[in-house]
Amino acid sequence: MISDDDLLLYYYRDGLDATERARIGAALAEQPELARRLHALVARLDATTALPEVPVPAATQQRWHAALAAATSERRVESPRRGFFAQPKWQAFAAAAAVAVIALVFGVQKLVTPPVSTPGPELVMSHASAYENGLKVHLASTERRLASLNEATPEERARLVETIIGQNRIYALAAERAGEPELARVLRAFTPILESVADGRGQTAGSVAQLGFELRVMQARLKADAATPAKTL
Amino acid sequence: MLTLLKSWVRPDAFQAVLTERSGRWYNACLRITRDADLAADAVQDALLKAWDRRDDFRGEAALDSWIHRIALNAAIDLTRRRKRRAEEELEDDRFEAAPSESPESEYAQEALGRDLGTALQRLSTMERQVFLLKHIEGWRLDEIAESLQTTINGVKHALFRAVRKLRVDLHVWRGES
Repeated sequence: MISDDDLLLYYYRDGLDATERARIGAALAEQPELARRLHALVARLDATTALPEVPVPAATQQRWHAALAAATSERRVESPRRGFFAQPKWQAFAAAAAVAVIALVFGVQKLVTPPVSTPGPELVMSHASAYENGLKVHLASTERRLASLNEATPEERARLVETIIGQNRIYALAAERAGEPELARVLRAFTPILESVADGRGQTAGSVAQLGFELRVMQARLKADAATPAKTL
Repeated sequence: MLTLLKSWVRPDAFQAVLTERSGRWYNACLRITRDADLAADAVQDALLKAWDRRDDFRGEAALDSWIHRIALNAAIDLTRRRKRRAEEELEDDRFEAAPSESPESEYAQEALGRDLGTALQRLSTMERQVFLLKHIEGWRLDEIAESLQTTINGVKHALFRAVRKLRVDLHVWRGES
């Protein structure tokens, strides 16, 4: 007896050994009913492959092109380094320092800045407040996690980094929705650096340096924005 | 030969293939993730990973196919992480809509076609991903198992379950069961 599951694997030409394939092939040649079942299966399954395609949003296309352009230009100026700068510990320190800077910029600054009355709908203020609080908690917990990376085993480090990357992605999406594409971009820029920390790859010094530069630019921009009362994350 | 390959994988080659083929990558990722943001992130991750690992590209497949595969793996990874986060950190979920209710999932529904999209909603994430990777993307069972971090037998059984459920909704093998 040849089951539907066996027929399915026969159709896919995958998951059956040579003997099983030969047995089903012989049965198909001898049994018209079995061949009819296979034909019906193929026809119906193939009908599902004609899937429509939705268009890519223009903003998404632009984001991809910008990300790729940034990556390719970054690699052109990057120069391989050796020794201390290739060590995972240095990368962990650099990533921790970078996140700490972000925490200072986006978290602590918000805490110490005197409240300013901002004109705008209550709904927007409420959403921004929840978003800011969430971001502060995330950055603080990220700092703690990064600080513990050096003492972590490789498995623990990989798990911690994966957690940070996953949460960064949430806040990057939230930042975009809050109209902060720059913050979203910086948060996403952590991903390759953190991945290299997790797997111990070297040659990310250029990326970290680029990220450090971007953070300084952002700091300068935020300092300028601090003078504007309506500034909201 | 190596020089030729390396010279071919230049930034302009990536930009060109991005312009030409990103719609295909995006739709494939959308079917896997059922979330427009995750699909967009998966394509971006794939682009950056592919660029970062361009020296690994041997030219056996087209650059488009190579990035397509990386994007699908990224989509699977993002879906897995989202699921894990949802389980472990419920308090952080306020920025995410439930997949079945979000506009993104409706958008994904369009990418699957109404009939297949509706039918696939009855499948578990594993069943849906296995079916899409096997039937639509044509991956081998062992490749799917590796990507989904499971066994080949696990993939087979998910595939069998998926097809059985789809048979009901799509009337596959009509009159046979």
